Amino acid sequence: MKVSYFALLRDATRKRSEIWERPAPSVRALLRDLAADYGPNFSRWILKDGELAGYAIILVNGQDVRGLQGLDTPLSPDSDVFIFPPLAGG
Amino acid sequence: MHGWTGKILRINLSTGKITTEALKTDLARNYIGARGLGTKYMYDEVDPTVDPLSPENKLIFASGPLTGTFAPSAGRYDVVTKGPLTGTIAASNSGGAWGPELKYAGYDMLILEGRAAKAVYLWIQDDKVEIRDAAHLWGKDVPETTEALNTETAADAKIACIGPAGENLSYIAAIMNDMQRAAGRTGVGAVMGSKNLKAVVVRGTGSVTVADKTAFLAAVGKASTMIKEHPVGGTGLRLYGTNVLVNILNSIGGLPTANFQDGHFETADKVGGESLAANQLQRPKGCFSCIISCGRATKVSNPKYKGEGEGPEYETAWGFGPDCRIDNLDAVIKANYYCNEYGLDTISMGGTVACAMELFSRGIITLEDTEGLELDFGNTDAMVEAVRLTGLNQGFGKKLALGSYRLASLYGHPELSMTVKKQEMPAYDPRAVQGIGLNYATNNRGGCHVRGYTISPEVLGVPVKVDKDSIDGKAELVALFQNLTAALDSTGSCLFTTFGIGAPEFAELMTALTGFAYSGDSFIEAGERIWNLERLWNLKAGLTAADDTLPPRLLKEPIVTGPSKGAVSRLPEMLPLYYGARGWDANGVPTREKLNALALA
Repeated sequence: MKVSYFALLRDATRKRSEIWERPAPSVRALLRDLAADYGPNFSRWILKDGELAGYAIILVNGQDVRGLQGLDTPLSPDSDVFIFPPLAGG
Repeated sequence: MHGWTGKILRINLSTGKITTEALKTDLARNYIGARGLGTKYMYDEVDPTVDPLSPENKLIFASGPLTGTFAPSAGRYDVVTKGPLTGTIAASNSGGAWGPELKYAGYDMLILEGRAAKAVYLWIQDDKVEIRDAAHLWGKDVPETTEALNTETAADAKIACIGPAGENLSYIAAIMNDMQRAAGRTGVGAVMGSKNLKAVVVRGTGSVTVADKTAFLAAVGKASTMIKEHPVGGTGLRLYGTNVLVNILNSIGGLPTANFQDGHFETADKVGGESLAANQLQRPKGCFSCIISCGRATKVSNPKYKGEGEGPEYETAWGFGPDCRIDNLDAVIKANYYCNEYGLDTISMGGTVACAMELFSRGIITLEDTEGLELDFGNTDAMVEAVRLTGLNQGFGKKLALGSYRLASLYGHPELSMTVKKQEMPAYDPRAVQGIGLNYATNNRGGCHVRGYTISPEVLGVPVKVDKDSIDGKAELVALFQNLTAALDSTGSCLFTTFGIGAPEFAELMTALTGFAYSGDSFIEAGERIWNLERLWNLKAGLTAADDTLPPRLLKEPIVTGPSKGAVSRLPEMLPLYYGARGWDANGVPTREKLNALALA
């Protein structure tokens, strides 16, 4: 699957995106591995006590997981995942 | 009075008469200031059917009670008038430091009447007010005007002025202050130009008094902490500016592309906030008393588009970028600089170029019409040149200066103008985000996002996430956001404070500052009063429920590609619910009961 990063997460990962080939049956599993790989500069914006941090935005194929099954949203090898830290504008 | 200075400066430019008058306490309390108070004075003094560019229209510069205090991010003022672009009541607000300076000079509002016989500017130093000749400034752009006036008045005077676009009565002209900040929307710059008024220069030595200093200090500290500690308000805006939104809107399929023909642009990342931060950004910049600093001081070194200035905001990057199928950020920034220098609203300018590109791509206008400008989608040089020509009112720019609705109508295709009430919509596709479409359609100044920014809950999830594709609860959500924004605009605060604080905190600030007891509910009710008064003005001006709509494209033509493929706006289902939520009748007219409840009857 393809995982894309934005804003502060590009600093944390030093990537705009990557092809993720390790098994990741759910958003929870993917984030657990990403947090392990990229450390607190990544996870502090996304996870709080193992759950999705307030205002972090994770899209799977353009759909916000907060409207799907949250961290339990299933993933497949052809999923397109977008991960945003809390952000604002107008 | 505390918070308010209690004094209004009134200048008749036709006669040269300069007077001051006391601000009425009950009006201040009920309409707060800035947008609300300015609208109340317009409602009481000006016929809504007035020609916006005639001497009978008035031009009001109005600060809010929080303006000039050290409340967080509260340094704004509003320009209130009848907008020539929309024909609606107009209030365009701007940051910088001009609004606070008006307060320090001793005035809550400046009301301008009539029309000067020749080009003039105003030089306000506390109680000393002069109408000065501006012949030597007419034709100068905004930086030239600002520098000249700082030289001939005072180096630290604050300046609001128009550029060539306002002088030439462009319907999309802005009033610029502090060189780079814009009261941009609804064509307020043309009203200033119609009065032969080049600039308002202010220098004040007074202060704003506070009713309860201890309570105000505590309220400011609390509000500042809440904004700073909020994950949304406290970090991202300073680092990436508002333009960080390009990627999120594109990722959900809600980034209007090619004049709203689509909702997704493959290379949008190239014009996003991350690219800006990595390349052209010099430093973040804040307005008076700002603790957020979303402003972007930028520099372009590419010789073709070389320059230095401020911007782009998200709306600007989108308007000159994806909406024109352009992904060259240097070119986008150059177009932004031209708008700042000539005094143009970037949203309407971008939307108008995009509309012209669609007219060109469909063969409705030709090279003969554009005087040689090849306005194909994606043509960066043509886009930048189109903006320059508009600012200078030259060539095809004379037609672009009318805004997209009048441009498209000239060629028989008003449906290709992506406007509401003739004003260009901003950078959120109503087909992908249902609530924002209802806000655009019902907005009292036409296509506008900031007066009912439901993107916050519908996309960002602040304060809570709601389903962007559902219409459930959107009528109530839009009305609430519109009411809250009307109230906070009227305080002189920045909308971005709401990424940290809400009505209860504003009520605390206002109570401590003014000595009048506000609650969260009464604060929002003041906003509802202001919204309804704006509605009454527009109805008297001749607008009807038929104007509460979106371009037919958004109701009938589904988004073509991306995650929101297939979506259309469900406005017709939401609109009756909105009228009901507002306590209006089926024709969108406030009922007698509603007006009585708001003390507007």
